[in-house]
Amino acid sequence: MESLVRELKEKIVTTLNLVDVSPDDIDDHEQLVGGRLGVDSIDVLELVIMLERDYSVKIEDREVGSTVFANLKSLADYVAANKPE
Amino acid sequence: MIALTGPRVFITGMGAVSPAGNSLNALTSALHQTGSALRTLGLFSAPSPLPVGEVPDVPPQQDFPRTHRLAAMAAEEALHNSGAEPDAIVLGGTTGGMLTTEERLKNKQHNPESFQWHGLVTVAHHLARHYNCSGPVINVSTACSSSTAAIKIAFDMLRAGLGKRILAGGADSLCRLTYHGFKSLQLVDPQGAKPFDRDRQGMSVGEGAAMLLLVADDTPPPDAVAEIVGGGLSCDAYHATTPHPQGRGALRAIRAALDEAAIAKTDIDYINLHGTGTPDGDLSEANALSHLLGHKVPHASSVKGMLGHSLGAAGAMETIISAHSIANGFIPANTGCATPDQNMGWEPCLSPVSQKVQTVLTNSFGFGGNNASLLLRGRERGGGLSSKKRVPLTVKGAACLTGAGDRNQSLDQVRTGYDCKGSLPIQDISSQLEANLVRRMKRLPRMALALAKAARSDAGTSRPPGAVFWGTGWGPLSETHDFLDRLEQSGDQFASAMDFIGAVHNAPAGNLGLYFEAEGPNLTTTAGDHSFEQALYTASLMADQLEQEFLVLAADEYHPRFSPLFDASVRSDPAPSDGGGALWVSASEDSREPKIMPPFLAFSTRGAEVIPRLVESLGGEERIREHTGAILLGIPAQLRDTAENQLQEFLDLTGFEGPTVDYRRWTGEFASASGTATVLAVQFVREGMVPASLVGGREDLPLRGREILLLGLGEHITGIRVAP
Repeated sequence: MESLVRELKEKIVTTLNLVDVSPDDIDDHEQLVGGRLGVDSIDVLELVIMLERDYSVKIEDREVGSTVFANLKSLADYVAANKPE
Repeated sequence: MIALTGPRVFITGMGAVSPAGNSLNALTSALHQTGSALRTLGLFSAPSPLPVGEVPDVPPQQDFPRTHRLAAMAAEEALHNSGAEPDAIVLGGTTGGMLTTEERLKNKQHNPESFQWHGLVTVAHHLARHYNCSGPVINVSTACSSSTAAIKIAFDMLRAGLGKRILAGGADSLCRLTYHGFKSLQLVDPQGAKPFDRDRQGMSVGEGAAMLLLVADDTPPPDAVAEIVGGGLSCDAYHATTPHPQGRGALRAIRAALDEAAIAKTDIDYINLHGTGTPDGDLSEANALSHLLGHKVPHASSVKGMLGHSLGAAGAMETIISAHSIANGFIPANTGCATPDQNMGWEPCLSPVSQKVQTVLTNSFGFGGNNASLLLRGRERGGGLSSKKRVPLTVKGAACLTGAGDRNQSLDQVRTGYDCKGSLPIQDISSQLEANLVRRMKRLPRMALALAKAARSDAGTSRPPGAVFWGTGWGPLSETHDFLDRLEQSGDQFASAMDFIGAVHNAPAGNLGLYFEAEGPNLTTTAGDHSFEQALYTASLMADQLEQEFLVLAADEYHPRFSPLFDASVRSDPAPSDGGGALWVSASEDSREPKIMPPFLAFSTRGAEVIPRLVESLGGEERIREHTGAILLGIPAQLRDTAENQLQEFLDLTGFEGPTVDYRRWTGEFASASGTATVLAVQFVREGMVPASLVGGREDLPLRGREILLLGLGEHITGIRVAP
């Protein structure tokens, strides 16, 4: 799980072209969307594609999305649980 | 403002090609029957195809892209039996030849000939050639409000006396860009759009074309269907794609239309809603109307549950439906809505209503927060319209970008006799931009923001601009390329929402609205090599209604794959170049600052006597000879022969013997080079001289109070006077 969290942090920083943010700066429990990182709803759509492309994990519902993208922990949990074997 | 002097504007011809069929009659019959015309996407293949508004039975014709064919069919119906050619054409559109471009890219075609109909303005060119129109041929691209904005521009032109008959409308065909783009934003309802329904999940992407013949007259002509009495434009300045939750921007556009028409809000009998079916968009519009009308919202309906959202064509389509409503006492149903959303405070018409309709409000809202509203009335019930007059623009600030850098760097280069061709590294363009703010912006939006900031700083103000008039020949090519490339690479599986939002031609202008909190009109014109001139033209048309200073700017980026493919002039120059220019202007006079006079704009149709009209508009031969210090010539490389003939005709007619500067030899080839050249001209007028290096003498040319004239030659002919 720790390596998945680490990998997701790296992907978030590069996918969203986050400026002055390194993967280590992201706390596992901090608010991902609308928080300190400046991630917004458009970024979430990019992350949805990244999850589908890189992990074959689909999020097609806004409400599911808002729980999944709450923080890094919830995101990693969802990916781990829904990733095809 | 002086009241009651301008001519009135009547709709005398209408043509519609929609998912309901290939004629106005097919459209109105469908409205009376209320069923949905949505069907599963069949135009191209896509994984798990969704319901769309696809036009049935479009006759195959391989010469032109689908958008051009849809537009031609609607124009033919609108102009049928109408007599003389239109004095001008003003169209709205967002995709142009994109469907054809996508297919040819997929087939690995690299012949530039295959992409000659890619540009948005080529749709209007196609009509202008067919109908022999040699007046202004303008293309507006404000996403989903494009053709509503186009009708507003045509309305203003007619009131300002810039024509008697104008063909206005919009056309967009379905294509992969919009189909997958809206899907990537999770804005599409998999069951088909149901606007204002409690369970709505999004829009249905559609296509179509709608054209109106607008005629200026003091009294209603016999064939008048309805009268246009007002229009309003605004920008949300809130978010790239999501409308303001309380509909603040929408409300400003509606109020501006009511003010212009001098009509009371309680006079509205029917509201043709934008209502696309997205949860946020519908609620925002509903809130705007509740704010305006309280519990007294009149009959209101969206037709997008029936037709889907034809994007750039939608506003004109709905203006036609509004005119039909007035002429026939008929209010269409809000197809698709079964259980109205209780959060709205009012309900749309669930079934058609027959009653007398005298005044209609029609709304269109687009990405970038670009809003437009129009008011129509019965032909016998004209509103008290004020007069309309074009005004000179006083230049308070000017900035440009070239391969050499900013304005001063470009001027230094020019003065020392070197050109400023080239394409700046993106880091240089971004040096004054906050990194976090532009992290999602690729090349063109950064250029636009850098230009706008520099122009404002040159003007020495920190206030927001009252409006943004933005021109671009080709739009954001990096975003467009990356979107299509990723889609293709993934077998149509993965589309980037970020690139889709950025790929819209008006995205850079929407960003400026957001950045500066500029809530006034936010217009994007895109007409190849004359996009800047069209931005300036629309600005000078609307300036009399703008109290604050505002922005007029244009830029084009060099994209290594797309620029040479789409733009033949770029292809012909071994030095890839890009850039643009921005002016911070005011509609009030200030004798200390340079002025830009309302520009001349015409389409260079074969056989048309355009140059004599240009000369006349510039004040005649004698005035041109006496008051022009130098002429800066915009000659796109691909049309050098045509342009040189046009120039020779101009010189023969005027007898002008002063210096002429072929400025693309200095700026390089890019569509918005005229924007850069205008900024240089402003600087020369400020300094009172033109550098020796440009005019070929040993010493700088003193202007001694004379003007600089910028002539744009080629497909369009344009004239801009920069006066001290």
